Amino acid sequence: MPIQHTSDGPNTFAWNPDKMNKELVAKGLLSLSLATLLGGCASTAPSNPSDPWEKPNRAFYNFNDSLDRNFFTPVAKGYVWATPKPVRAGVTNAFENVNYLNVMANDLLQGKVSDFASDSGRFVVNSTVGLGGLFDPATKLGMPAHDEDLGQTLGKWGVGEGRYMVLPLMGPNSLRDLPNVASAMALNPLTYLNAVVTVPLGVINTINMRANLLEETNIRDQAALDPYTFVREAYRQQREFKIYDGNPPSESIDDYLDEPEATAAPAAAADESSVLKVY
Amino acid sequence: MLKLAPRLLLLLSLGLPCGALAAEATAVVETLHAALLAAMKDAKTLGFKGRVAQLGPVLDSTFDFPAIAKVATGRHWQKMTEDQRQTFLQTFRDLSVATYADNFSDFGGEKFETLGHEQKKNAELVRTNIVTGEGKRVSLNYVLTRNNDDYRIVNVVAEGVSDLGLKRSEYDGIIASEGVDSLVAKLKAKVASYAASGK
Repeated sequence: MPIQHTSDGPNTFAWNPDKMNKELVAKGLLSLSLATLLGGCASTAPSNPSDPWEKPNRAFYNFNDSLDRNFFTPVAKGYVWATPKPVRAGVTNAFENVNYLNVMANDLLQGKVSDFASDSGRFVVNSTVGLGGLFDPATKLGMPAHDEDLGQTLGKWGVGEGRYMVLPLMGPNSLRDLPNVASAMALNPLTYLNAVVTVPLGVINTINMRANLLEETNIRDQAALDPYTFVREAYRQQREFKIYDGNPPSESIDDYLDEPEATAAPAAAADESSVLKVY
Repeated sequence: MLKLAPRLLLLLSLGLPCGALAAEATAVVETLHAALLAAMKDAKTLGFKGRVAQLGPVLDSTFDFPAIAKVATGRHWQKMTEDQRQTFLQTFRDLSVATYADNFSDFGGEKFETLGHEQKKNAELVRTNIVTGEGKRVSLNYVLTRNNDDYRIVNVVAEGVSDLGLKRSEYDGIIASEGVDSLVAKLKAKVASYAASGK
């Protein structure tokens, strides 16, 4: 779907894994997180049927949040203060460009032929005329940025979310969206460079992305009574929005307004995952 | 400069011939937008309290807070006493107004564009965009239902994220684990914090 250069919204730790080169960290943390998730499954009774892994998810969420508040947010704020906006825009553009092969591949997988053509052109133009992606002449030439990933492709093919997961450092994710971590890394040319180059680049990318999301996290902090739930629901809704390219299947609000009490409890609980995508 | 992010999540919870109804529904949304623009432009002179006073009546007439409150509490509404319902409704409404007053606190050349409407079962969907001073577009869709004689907003969906959906999930969890009174206390605390930090 065409993106209008908004960030990932309330997807607070939206360190788009596909943009971040963090092989060692990812491997270590994924194995840690899987161990915790499976352990968590065994011992807890879910309070929310649509989020059976809520307990370990909350634990990771709190871990991420405290790391974020104590380290990443202050660093990102310093970065914003020290770096002029055009420079930050250039950094954002460059990392988005380097990730673009993943977008193109998923355009094809979803059968979006004209988007694939436009995105191929965009990649070429921005990489060459745009000096390695620092600039974005392609948008003005009629090739806007699209946002596609393997999770959206799977969703388009009918795969459901699976399970909602919060991963350490990486934040909100799901069983369906997780494969994109690996595929995006594989399709990102930076992955294949020496660690001497990739680690500093990864750090810059992370901080730049965190800086881009500072306003969204302000909103979350102001508005959310229960930030974990807030982020989960916002993540889910936004994934649906992206999968259906801005036109998710709608539900009538009357279904909720007239909910009979007798069936409301199980229905409401079961529907939490698709709650009020009211259009 | 009005922040882009607040529009990403407009934090307010925010059957007849299609033509006539749609026009009515669209007019309601446009009334809201006009009021928001006015508040933004006079934001500094009004201050937080002034914006609350100015936006309050508009929101009361364009939103259907009782319906929203009922949906936001979901299965718990039936179990609430009349007192609890009234308190919740009032607090919820105050929080909604405070949120708008806080978010629309500056003007940087923003505009609203109305894109069109659709009828969905018994609700009208009005599609709009908010365009920032820098030309970025954020999609804002409003769901309106008929309340007696007029159309009122029952949900605002910003970039696919349904405000009512978010609130319903959050409130359900809090009521289930801590009870309605605790939720109301939290909402009141939020209103107070907006008032304290509002400019």
